Amino acid sequence: MRRYETIFIANPDLSEEDQNALQEKVRSIVASFKGEFVKLEDWGLRKLSYPIRKNSRGRYFLVDYLAEAPALVRELERTLRLNDGVLKFLTVKTSARVTSEQILALKAASLAAKTLPLEERPAAPEPTPAPVEAAKTEAGGEEK
Amino acid sequence: MKPPMKRKRTFQRRKVCVFCADSGMKIDYKDVKTLNHFVTERGKILPRRISGNCAKHQRDITQAIKKARNISLLAFSVFGS
Repeated sequence: MRRYETIFIANPDLSEEDQNALQEKVRSIVASFKGEFVKLEDWGLRKLSYPIRKNSRGRYFLVDYLAEAPALVRELERTLRLNDGVLKFLTVKTSARVTSEQILALKAASLAAKTLPLEERPAAPEPTPAPVEAAKTEAGGEEK
Repeated sequence: MKPPMKRKRTFQRRKVCVFCADSGMKIDYKDVKTLNHFVTERGKILPRRISGNCAKHQRDITQAIKKARNISLLAFSVFGS
């Protein structure tokens, strides 16, 4: 399986219900294509670096998932494109090959993450792409 | 005839690529804080000769910055204020 992540920016004017419906839709697409859902992060409202469709802010969502066939990605991008509430999206393949053991490890990690509060989340075991948090904490230490 | 210009370049220590020096550092397009070190105030990508990155990591950084721009985490250009 391949691991992908898709970031999409939702219109900040969307109601909470619509946001949830959108998230639900993403989940259902991943499920219907026999993909493995890893996580959906809500980054909340962020300032955009440049206006998109006259919006200066956007609500960011990050979907992390595994897919067997590229059809899943195609379908997900298609629905995002058709959805007026989505300003922009970007899909990145983070790992070309994920073995079944790694999938199990991922599942265990996501289960643990659900029970633990966000701050005390342990780093995901061994899956090839490093967890996002690790990269984030190690910023800095460089000047121009 | 002008006399040949005397090279009076102050020698600068060769910078070492930060990502090579610290293998724990990962290049991620979502990590705006790190990427910000490699763009100018106007949002342009810093050249290797200034950032001191090695070719490989410069390439990765460039790709990451372009991805981040695409999803509006970084600006394509910053206008003066």
